[in-house]
Amino acid sequence: MKTWLKIICIALLAYTVIFSLWHPLSPGGLDVSVDKIVPGNNTFTFTGYNTHFQDQKDSLQLFVASGGTYFCTELQSVSDNNHCTVNVILPDTIPSDEIAFYANTPLDGTVYIQKPIDSKSFVFDPNHQVASPCAVKVKNDQHQIFGYPFQVIIFESIRNLMWHVPMWFTMFALMFIAFVQSIKILSKSGREADLTKAIDFSVVKNFDTKAASAAGTGLVFCILGLITGSIWARFTWGTWWTTDPQLNGAMVVFLVYLAYFILRNSVNDEEKRARLAAIFNIFAFILLVVLLMVMPRFAEGLHPVKVETQLFLNMILIVV
Amino acid sequence: MGPVKALWKKELLLEFRQKHAIAGIAMYVLATVFVCFLSFERLESEVVWGGLIWITGLFTAFNAMQKTFAQEGGGTQYYLYTLASPKQVILVKSLYNALLVAALNVISLFFFLLFFGDEVLKEADFGQLFLGFLMGSSGLGMTLTFVSGLAYKSGVGVGLVAILGFPVIIPLLITIVRFTTGALIGLTWLENGLNLLVLFILNGASLLLSTLLFPYLWRE
Repeated sequence: MKTWLKIICIALLAYTVIFSLWHPLSPGGLDVSVDKIVPGNNTFTFTGYNTHFQDQKDSLQLFVASGGTYFCTELQSVSDNNHCTVNVILPDTIPSDEIAFYANTPLDGTVYIQKPIDSKSFVFDPNHQVASPCAVKVKNDQHQIFGYPFQVIIFESIRNLMWHVPMWFTMFALMFIAFVQSIKILSKSGREADLTKAIDFSVVKNFDTKAASAAGTGLVFCILGLITGSIWARFTWGTWWTTDPQLNGAMVVFLVYLAYFILRNSVNDEEKRARLAAIFNIFAFILLVVLLMVMPRFAEGLHPVKVETQLFLNMILIVV
Repeated sequence: MGPVKALWKKELLLEFRQKHAIAGIAMYVLATVFVCFLSFERLESEVVWGGLIWITGLFTAFNAMQKTFAQEGGGTQYYLYTLASPKQVILVKSLYNALLVAALNVISLFFFLLFFGDEVLKEADFGQLFLGFLMGSSGLGMTLTFVSGLAYKSGVGVGLVAILGFPVIIPLLITIVRFTTGALIGLTWLENGLNLLVLFILNGASLLLSTLLFPYLWRE
């Protein structure tokens, strides 16, 4: 390989490392200190993440939302950038039992927390007019240049998106290259009918080397994808391994390509090795497509493929 | 007599002349189910029943398919080559082996009923169960026939069948276990239809790939 190509690859890798670890997460709401709200006086502490409550103390505005109505709070104390304590007076009748807590600052914009809150002691009436709903005064006029989206459950591990997902895409691409090279091997190597024809073996050997190298590199990306995925699963789903169809499909694909290399290494005759490995590789790639692209769409799983599935079905409908 | 008919006759004759081979596999099935009986004693769960019967089916199929190419010497294969096209050879062999595995699985089902009783079959949908048995057995037979051919041609020995076959067979096995379990707990055809569809797709893909790729394998 050419040296400048290697340098570009290392630079790209360095860029990815820096980009995925350097930028902060966007501000978000972590928790409120109460599980229950009652009519009348409520005091709670709002915990934010990467927020700037202390720096923006003068323009900080917190409110409690019920349905589409906002109730203003009275700021009591701000302990640091991520914690502030407020007091709110709520009426007996509120529009809805869907309660959310909002915090507005010009720098962070709006951050909110939605969690199950016990609100049994209220009367709910969607049409009831609230005497003094809160006017949301703060407008978000400053934006950070870039921040990873703040997602509950995922939190900081969202950075793994820069690693885990491209690894699988790279594996798909490399396995596709190996698949194409394998087809070339078979078309050059010939069927029974071409037995009389002499075969230029150096061409076949070239294809075989390319197929094996692509599949080998793909296997490395598959292993890395499994490792990053497993670590991610530990932090978001709670276990190192789950029964998710995509996860188990990836494991089967890993085993199939291991079997491909075992087959390759167990045949000594080079011409025969190229042909047998190519046949098995075509089998393996079809299995990869079935396992990682088709089957997860028909089964319940934890991976976010639902949106994609809709797109996929629509595409089929359009083609049909 | 057409080549297809001759190939069928050859397979049947070979099986008939080597009765010890098929008898050995039947004994293997009996022993496996008996070991299952000794270790589990009672089977009330449909999931365990479905899983066990297909794991037995999987190993039976591996044992039966290992010899499918190895039992014919090199001379036989050259003779077959003059007689028929490779597509005909693999099609006849695949279908013959599909029926063979189905027959062996019927034996295994008989032993399961003998040892464990029909407790789990009370709510079962027998139409689905039958179709599942046919589809699963033929899938195992067809896929492993091709893998066995690949392993035979590599010249390493029958041990390679297990290494190459296991990963390839896993999707089929998962689907067929799910389908059988669904049939046992009495799901309707519509509820269990997705598994059946996947089963049809996997079987079709397996047969198509083996017919397409076998001519390249056949070449020596």
